[in-house]
Amino acid sequence: MLENFASLLMGFQVVFDPQNIGACALGAILGLIVGAMPGLGSLAGVALLLPLTYKFNPTTAIIMLGALYYSNMYGGAFSAILLNIPGDSPAITTALDGYPMAKKGRPGQALMAANTASFIGGTIGILILTCTASGLAKLGLNFGYAEMTLVLLIAMTSISWLIGENPTKGVVITLLGILVASIGMDTLSGVPRYNFGSIYLMGGITFTPFIIGAVGFAQVIKLINEREADEEKRKSGTYEAVKLSIRGSMLTLHDFKRILPPVLRSSILGTFVGVLPGSGATTGSMVGYAMQKKFKSEEPMGTGAIEGIAASEAGNNSAAAGAFAPLLALGIPGSGTGAVLLGGLMMWGLNPGPLLFETNPDFCWSLISSLYIANVFTLAVAVLVIPFLIKILSVPIKYMIPIITCVCIVGAYSTSYSMYGVLVMFFSGIVGYLLDKNGFPTAPMLLAFVLAPMLEENMRKAFIASQGSLGIFTDSALKLVLLAIFLVLVLTPSVKALLRKTKHTEKTAV
Amino acid sequence: MKKLLALALALTAVLSLTACGGSGSDIAEDGTFTPTKTVTWVCTSGAGGGSDIFTRKISDIMSAEGLVNGQTIVVSNETDGAGEVGRNKIATLKMNPDYNLLTFNSGDLMPMVTNTQNRSSNFRILAIMAVDKQLLFSCGSTAGKTDYAKAGGDLTDFGAAVEAAKNGTHIVVGGSKGDDIATYDALLEELGLTEEQMSYITYDSTGDAITAALGGNLDFVMSKPAAASQYVESGDLTPVLALSTEHFGGNLADAPTLSEIGDYADVEVPVWRGVAAPAAMSDAAVAFWTEALQKVSETEAWETEYLEPNQLISQYMNSADATAYVSAFEADYLAANGLS
Repeated sequence: MLENFASLLMGFQVVFDPQNIGACALGAILGLIVGAMPGLGSLAGVALLLPLTYKFNPTTAIIMLGALYYSNMYGGAFSAILLNIPGDSPAITTALDGYPMAKKGRPGQALMAANTASFIGGTIGILILTCTASGLAKLGLNFGYAEMTLVLLIAMTSISWLIGENPTKGVVITLLGILVASIGMDTLSGVPRYNFGSIYLMGGITFTPFIIGAVGFAQVIKLINEREADEEKRKSGTYEAVKLSIRGSMLTLHDFKRILPPVLRSSILGTFVGVLPGSGATTGSMVGYAMQKKFKSEEPMGTGAIEGIAASEAGNNSAAAGAFAPLLALGIPGSGTGAVLLGGLMMWGLNPGPLLFETNPDFCWSLISSLYIANVFTLAVAVLVIPFLIKILSVPIKYMIPIITCVCIVGAYSTSYSMYGVLVMFFSGIVGYLLDKNGFPTAPMLLAFVLAPMLEENMRKAFIASQGSLGIFTDSALKLVLLAIFLVLVLTPSVKALLRKTKHTEKTAV
Repeated sequence: MKKLLALALALTAVLSLTACGGSGSDIAEDGTFTPTKTVTWVCTSGAGGGSDIFTRKISDIMSAEGLVNGQTIVVSNETDGAGEVGRNKIATLKMNPDYNLLTFNSGDLMPMVTNTQNRSSNFRILAIMAVDKQLLFSCGSTAGKTDYAKAGGDLTDFGAAVEAAKNGTHIVVGGSKGDDIATYDALLEELGLTEEQMSYITYDSTGDAITAALGGNLDFVMSKPAAASQYVESGDLTPVLALSTEHFGGNLADAPTLSEIGDYADVEVPVWRGVAAPAAMSDAAVAFWTEALQKVSETEAWETEYLEPNQLISQYMNSADATAYVSAFEADYLAANGLS
């Protein structure tokens, strides 16, 4: 471990080269911008900038891309909190509490909580990465399909907390999410499903436009309804513009005490989720948020609880750091963005793989140390922009409608550079609005849409390996523990209800 | 109303301008073609993957060597409909057909002919640039979680695994989608095994499959040399079978071919990387592009920056040869899968 810190110091020396510091700062700022724009997630950002970096030396290039990837995770929260449009998929859970909190008149604190949680989560993730990089990656490898299936089942239980007052509606909407997710190519056999003869549907419903539509464009339609009321309010002079300075956005000591425990829990959990092959920041934030549901929050989760924002953002950023462990130690990309970075490594003439730490230690360690620097840079920039961001909230609704619509269209278009994404966005926006209007919560649909394909893939792979036997889920201690957690989560409510009932009957019998 | 009228007028003006820009010939009187506009190159895979690197490398070399008359080549990653939308668009393109190229690999052709009515005859095939082949690897050192590993089977001996499969021990092979599956099917047929005896698990990429193998979830993993090379170097993977009619070089030289393992014929399904164009592309433009691609294949940059790092076999075929080769490949594939 001491050896690791010595190497880290060497890495810092490389990073403090003015050229590298510049690259790091540029990456951090670009990442924040790309992350804040809905639709342009880290994947698109890294992919777009990759060709620019071919002329750099590899270390400078990876420092810039690393910083970009990293600061992206901050940016996603901005539009989620202020506009209820998640900038990228890990920010879905941030929007659940972030937007209500902004509506309650504390947008500055919501943003600050997101930034603080991101910073702490990131720092813990990078620290764990520094100490255990290669060991951690090997641990992740031990998660086979059966283990991943169980982890995903546990993550799926989080949907039940988002279902809301009407369980039937919640179940219907969850199933709808699963159904929509199953459109497209069957990942194992390559056979098209539910494409109704359309070559567009063969690739499935694209993830980002679907989310931008269901959340963002649905929001626009809602705003259209509120427009008149907003105009009235402005005319009659009862409207109070939101004015906030950085000072006014500061968290109170009480706020900080509220977010600290969820941040710490989410950070550690998130790092490990990030290390698992094929998961990444989205799973990190969802698992973090789901876990927070099990702990006490001062306000109920989903109504603007600062704990929810903290749990989601810390999970997201620590998972992003964790995802570097398999990438550097084994040459395995933990996410789509990781895959693009891996492609970059090859273009720069490096051979990613198990030997990278040995053959190019300066490269690996400068990347890790650049993450520390990028984290500090991004925090500074993110805090400084808060007063400007808050201004968005006082823009009259009649201007917001066309602006958000444009942002939605650009975001949906830029995922695959085609109008198909835009169509998906409009359609899911209208459906999302109608569902919301009729009391169907959309969050369970989105979570099911993200998690169901991963669950299906892992479960089917497990069954191929075991030739259909269920035994594969119970043949090791780790699996039994995961299975037990799952069963406890699923059965607790029914057992509780049963106990209450017996108590009740006992009482009436007496 | 006035605003609406102005908008309509502006729209009409813009539309008619773009429509006019579409025509115009760049074919000289002697029948040769020289590009005078920006070239669009469609790649139906995402940025950063193998096809994307192939596409960008060629376009970089073309620009650097001055093969495109100083015009820009824009690479467009069109992944809608698992790539079918982009392929269909190029096949049927009527606007500026001389300025549109498509990266077209065997891994693109197989799902295309399986899932759509689009066929290679709907394109002009410009060239084949390189050919790749696969090997099977095992990760013998780790504690395997598969039936075969638990039964104490020798993972470094593929022949023993085949015998075990015939005697009822379940063998699990993993690999990428597309071309790897075709090679697995060919292997299975030659060995006379069923999918129940030797199953195949499809991964999104070879990298994912290797991850699973390193975690002990697979008995064997199929990969092309490039993706597996580092792991062979570090001792994490051992090559156990060359899916080729001859041995590979370098650190893969030890892997035997199928005919050396038992009484079988060698299995080889070459994976090719090529370039296609719209059916409407003029003959002059086809001649220009096939020649430009030949020049790329002769540069040193192509050799040292693309073929060598990816351990590919250089195999340039001009338009006529490539068309014949792809048609034969497609006919074989259709026949083998009972398609028409």
